[in-house]
Order: sequence, then C-alpha cells, then structure tokens
Amino acid sequence: MKTFKQHIYIIAGLLLLVACKTEIHTPKPVAGSADFSRYISVGNSLTAGYADGGLYLAGQQVSYPSIIGKQMQAVGGGTFTQPLFSTSQANGSGYLSLTGFNADGTPITTPVTTNLAIRGQLTVPGFGNVILYTKYAGDINNYGVPGIKLMHITYAPYGNLNSYFERLLPGNSPTNSTTYLDFVTAKPFTFFSNWLGNNDALSYAVSGGAGDVLTDKNTFAYLYNVLINTLTAKGQKGVVATIPDVTSLPYFNTVTVSAILAGVQKVNPAAKALYINALVSGSTYAPRAATTSDLIILTFPTSKIGQTVTTPYGPLPYGLTPYTPIDNQYVLDEKETALTEDYVTSYNTIIKNVAAAKGLAVYDAYAFLLNIKQNGMVVDGVSINSNYISGGLFSLDGIHLTPRGYAIVANEFIKAINNKYNSTIPQVNISDYNGVKFP
Amino acid sequence: MKKVLLLALFIAPLMAFSQGFQVNLEGQKQIGMGHTGVGTLQDGASVFFNPGAVAMLPENYLQGGISPLFFKSDFNPAGTSVQNRTANKVATPFEFYGVWGPKSSFWKFGLGVYTPFGGLTDWGNTWQGKYVLESLNLKAIYFQPTLSIKLASFLSIGGGFVYNHGSVDLTRAIPVANSAGDPGQAELKGSGKGYGWNAGIYIKTESGVTIGITHRSKVNTTIAGGNAIFSVPASLQSSFPQPNTFTSTIPLPATNSIGFGFYPSSKWILALDANLVNWDVYKTLSFDYKTNTAALQDTHSARNYQQAVSIRGGAQYKATSTLALRFGGGYASTAVADGYVTPEAPDANRVYGTLGLGYTLAKHLDIDVSFEYEHLMQRTQTNIESQLSGTFKTNVYIPGVSLAYHW
Repeated sequence: MKTFKQHIYIIAGLLLLVACKTEIHTPKPVAGSADFSRYISVGNSLTAGYADGGLYLAGQQVSYPSIIGKQMQAVGGGTFTQPLFSTSQANGSGYLSLTGFNADGTPITTPVTTNLAIRGQLTVPGFGNVILYTKYAGDINNYGVPGIKLMHITYAPYGNLNSYFERLLPGNSPTNSTTYLDFVTAKPFTFFSNWLGNNDALSYAVSGGAGDVLTDKNTFAYLYNVLINTLTAKGQKGVVATIPDVTSLPYFNTVTVSAILAGVQKVNPAAKALYINALVSGSTYAPRAATTSDLIILTFPTSKIGQTVTTPYGPLPYGLTPYTPIDNQYVLDEKETALTEDYVTSYNTIIKNVAAAKGLAVYDAYAFLLNIKQNGMVVDGVSINSNYISGGLFSLDGIHLTPRGYAIVANEFIKAINNKYNSTIPQVNISDYNGVKFP
Repeated sequence: MKKVLLLALFIAPLMAFSQGFQVNLEGQKQIGMGHTGVGTLQDGASVFFNPGAVAMLPENYLQGGISPLFFKSDFNPAGTSVQNRTANKVATPFEFYGVWGPKSSFWKFGLGVYTPFGGLTDWGNTWQGKYVLESLNLKAIYFQPTLSIKLASFLSIGGGFVYNHGSVDLTRAIPVANSAGDPGQAELKGSGKGYGWNAGIYIKTESGVTIGITHRSKVNTTIAGGNAIFSVPASLQSSFPQPNTFTSTIPLPATNSIGFGFYPSSKWILALDANLVNWDVYKTLSFDYKTNTAALQDTHSARNYQQAVSIRGGAQYKATSTLALRFGGGYASTAVADGYVTPEAPDANRVYGTLGLGYTLAKHLDIDVSFEYEHLMQRTQTNIESQLSGTFKTNVYIPGVSLAYHW
C-alpha cells in the first residue's frame, strides 16, 4: 500500500508537469482613438472578395474587409455582415477553376457553371445586357461592388447597369435610382475603409486601352473629395488605399512578347518580330514591331498567332506582319501603359492629399504591390511574388487576389489603421489562408 | 504559350541543433548538482563528464537512468494576442554507464551510452509557422568506450571514442493547396552516423580542491539517403518526385569544459563547471535532394551560430550515511544570433535550477532522483529567412531517476 501511495504521488507529479502551460503576456488590444463599433467597407471587386474571375461564396468569406471586421471585434467592433451568396447558390457569378496543366506547364482553367446565383437577364436600351443575380436583402457592412468606378458613385441609374449593385438594391433594374454613395451612407457607421478608384484606370488597361477610357483627373479629384467628405461628414474615421500600378499585375506580365516570339521562332525561325497596333498619340494608332515594353494581356488566345488573315496584300499570318498586327484589345502598348501609369500616379496623389487633409489612415497598396513585384516577400516561411499562379498572391484571373493575398492586404490595412489611431487590432494568421488551389 | 509555370516554392527545411538541442542530462547525481561533474567524481557518469576521472573511481559501476523531458514552448505571433503552444510530448533522454577495472589497479575501462543532443517539438499543423515547421523529432545517441589511467595518486587522464547514431523526423506544410484548400506536407526522415572523441584530465590538488579539464570533440553527423516524402496535389506531383531521398550533414559542436570540486567538510561537496561550446562551426545547413526539380532545389540556409558558454554550480549535502541532498543551477548563453531563431528549438539565454536526492537502497545499490527546471528568456524575433515574427518563451521540466550498482 505504501508503494502504491508513492506511485500516486509520482503519477500526480507527472500529470502536473503535463498541465503546465507557458504563457507570454500580451497587452489587451485597444481601439485607440477610433470607434470600430460599425465598420463599413467601400470599394469595388477587391473589396467584395472577387477572385478567379468571379464573385462566389468562398471568395466573399475571405474578403479583406471581412477579415478586418472579424479582427476589429477584439477592439469593440460589431458584427460584420456581408451580402453573401447562399450555400445553394454558392458559386455566385461562376468563376475559373484550375483543372490541370498542359505538357508545356501552362495551366488549364475551366469555368465553374453550377450552383450559380443568376435570376435572369435584362436588356437595358442603350447599354446592353445586364445579368440579374439573386437579390440580397439583409444587413450589409461590406459594400464592395465589382466593376464600380469612382466615376459611378453619384450616378443615379448605376443600380440598373451593374449586376452586383443591382443585387444589393431593393428595386429591380431598370427602376433603381439610388446612387452608390447614398446607398452606403444610408445607415450610420463609425469607421470606414475605402478602396475605390482602381477601375477608373484598370478598366482601360485590361481592355488593352481599346474598350474603356481613363477617368479624367479633375473628375477623379472632385469625386474623391465628395466621397471622403460624405464618409467623414459625422466625424467618422477611416482608412483609404491607393491604386496599384497595373503593371504589377500578372494579367499584364504572364504572356510576354518575348515568350510568344520564342514560341513562334521554334516553328518558324525566320520570324523576327510580333506586330501590334500601337498608340502614336491622342487616338491615333499605327502598326509597329512589339517590344518588351508592350504588355500582352493574360487572356490573349495565343493560338491566333500565325493564323492566315486575308488582307489587301494577300493572305498573311496574324501578328507577324505590319499588315496583320495583334488586335489593340489584347495589348497595352508602351504608350498606353505610360498613360495609365500617369493617371494612376495622379489618382494616388489625390487620394493621399485628401486623406492627409482629413487625417485618415492610408494603406499604400501601390507601393506595397510594386515592392512585391520587384522584390517578392516572405511571410511566415512562404515565398510570395507577383507571378501568375505560383506567386500565391494573385488568383486565376491575374488581377484579383487569392485568400492568402486578401489576408496579406487585410494585415496591411490593419497596420495602417493601428499606426494612425494608436489602436492594436490584432493581425490575422496568413498561414491559415491558401493560394491558388491545385487539382 | 503562356509563360511556363515555374513553381519556385520555398522548400528549405530549417533544421537546427542549438543549445536548445544540447541535452544536459547525463547523470542523475550530477543533474541534482546543477549538471556539474567535470571537476568532481561521483559515479560512472564521469565517462561522460570527465573520462580522465574514471580511473580515480574507487569502485566498479553499472548504472542507468532516464530523464523524461517536458519541453513547453509558446509563440506569440507579432501583432496578435495568439498563443501557439507545442503539444504535450515527452522526450526521453537516457544515460547508461559501465565502468570496470581490476581492484586497486591504475586503469579502468568504461562505456557510456547517452543522448547529448536531441529535441522533440510539435507545434501542430494549424499554427502560424506551419510552413516553417510542424514537428521535429531529433535524436543523437552517443556510444563511448573509454580508457582512463591513473598516472599518480593526484593525477589521472582518460579518453574515449565516440560513435553517434543520429536520427531525424521533420514535418512541415508546403504552401500548395489542394482542391479542398489544405496545404501539402513534407516529411524528412532518416538516420545517420558520426564519429568523435572525448578526453579529460583530473587533478587532486594539495589543498584538497579537485580540478577537471575536458574536451569533447565536434561530431559531424551525416544523414545519407534519408526519405524525403512529399504529399502534394496530384497535378504537382511531378515537381516533387517520389520516392526521393536527401543527404545532410550537421556538425555537433565541440565542448571545452573546466570544473572544480570543493570539500568544506566531509558532508559537503561544492562543484563549479564552466563550458565553452564551439557552436560557431555551424555556418550553414544544406539539404541535398537526390532528385531535383524546378520546385525542389537543394537548399543552403545560413545559420551563423556563435560560441556559447555556460556556468554551472551545485552542491551535495550528505544528510545521513544513506541520504544525500543536492541542489544547483546555472546559466547558458544562446548560440543563436538575432534573426536566426527558429521554432525547432527556439533558443535563448537560459537559467535553470535543479534539485536532487540520493538514497542508498542496499549496500551496493544507489537510487538517485533529480528534478530540473529550465527557463528560456522570452525572445522577440523576426527570422531572416522565414520572416516568422513574434515572441518565443520556453519552460522545460525534467524529472529524472537512475539506479547505480557498484562493487
């Protein structure tokens, strides 16, 4: 019996060691000089959680505002509600999925077309077709609307033209007349994030400078002031983000002139150059040989190269002669790129000036993504860069982010907020968020 | 004709021995006295502590012990209140010694089997640093035959040959998600060997103070043909060819020690040891994969360790003819410079305290128990290679027991 008692002590002692916990003291997170009780996010597709060429439930659930909103709950933030697609319509607008690789290592993407949230389609005279998504009627903290430009925020009919905005409004297209700005400010809020303005430059760039126009700089300045004045009308605090350089996106850096030319020369060593229809000045375009400074978009169907085109000079191979240049819509040529960069720089100056005047926090997404493009970065043992698919940051559309990318951006927003308002919103664990999913 | 996809993934296993991997648990009597034993003579554990002293042992010894080790690390990622803790796993360092020589002879032969390096850390597969390390089980078992010779009544020397059997089992997540969003897994598993030596000198001075000086050599341990197991999404399997093997060499550092024993009365022994560990041999850690691909390159990670020192002190009080009480403690400086701390053994300067108790069970049989508590100073670090940023803090609890038969 005595030895049994001794054993009990030994076992109890060992169990005590098992129970010992090492503890690092951490200060309780504080809100600083800001009030996070109702945080709203204003922005476009990046804010909505758009990824892989679509808006869908899994993407919405890792949107950067939803991550920030969750982290804010440690410092007095309220519930953060998003206009989520239902689980039965989880694939929302549909999106691209990586389904394999070709023998040469190029990726194969396949559209997901099941369980969509499409309720119909409407033809708006003078505009075109608008897809109608299943309406969302609940509370909203995340006002991200894919496709929206700063230019649109005071445009009353916009709720009839943008499918994603129409989805959030009570009325059906074409009866809507609520502006985006009125919509987001209808309910009181205490803190906001704003990442509008990307599409004012990006829509021009992704269309190869052919399908859209850059928003006038003065218009941008005027509307940005209107936006921020409205958002801060009751003394609300917030954070704004600058607009990334379009050339830091894999959409413009994956399919390159030299890669296409190298492919052509494998079959036809005589080929010396690709030809594009390049901007000369104003709206004048002329064919010339492409250089490495001309950016080909990710979705360019490279199979078109070399196909026979009927011309006044006889049948000629597509993209390989000055008479059969690659179509303008596939190329953001050197001058178009410079023009876009000039506008982005001006927009960002406006954003920073307005933010400084109002004492708002700024997340400089332009500098952040440019640095990743130039130097890459390592986060918790994971190497991240701007390469398509392997970089881990950008989703399959080459423009929007992966869950990992959105988590990184969320932390950068949090750092900017904490810095400005002396708050200590906890950062999120980026290791919990994946990059592109592989089959 | 889109740019060929290059998966330049970050597959650099970060395996590191450090002070955190030097297991100073080589004899229960000595642990009780702050793990001193270079300049004192207690039992067969002198084979490890000072082979030079072995010939001075008045008896022959056969002894063995074990020290279950509870390693409790906590990591607080920078900018969060999160606490990532290692799982409750118990490492089992052990020691075995045999010492034999003819009665009253000038020589003694000894054999030691002990575990001077090892580590068992399991951070789990959901923590912030999972792409750096999930778990590591590292063992080094030294086999040391030893010969010790008494040159004079006040002077003896000794030396031994060391064979090391080392093994490693390391897992980490790979940042490629499958269709369910789960990351890939890497496991590096293998065993290897290394050789070294151990020598010492032991002096009884006229004043009664005993002095020991020892050198334990560097043991370069090579793991050749270890299994490199990668589980990744099927579409990427060709980038991580299976089966695959790896080879890696790790220098286990040399240790230089000096120790003193003082005997203020017949009941007391006071001991003082100082160690200088040549961790600066550890400059880089390289992994050489048998089959390389664009995504799986050999890796060379800078380690740049620095020399480390430790100071230890301890005492034994012979309360009765059959009961000895022991206590001690010490301080060890870290081998790992700022920027190189990794979660395998989140090293830092450390302090420790020990308690021990020895009891004579029978005429030739001793039982010794010890308890050691180690505290590694809180250390806030951003690793240069992985950029894992946060605060580490570690406590180690080590009970131990041994039996010694002597005649």
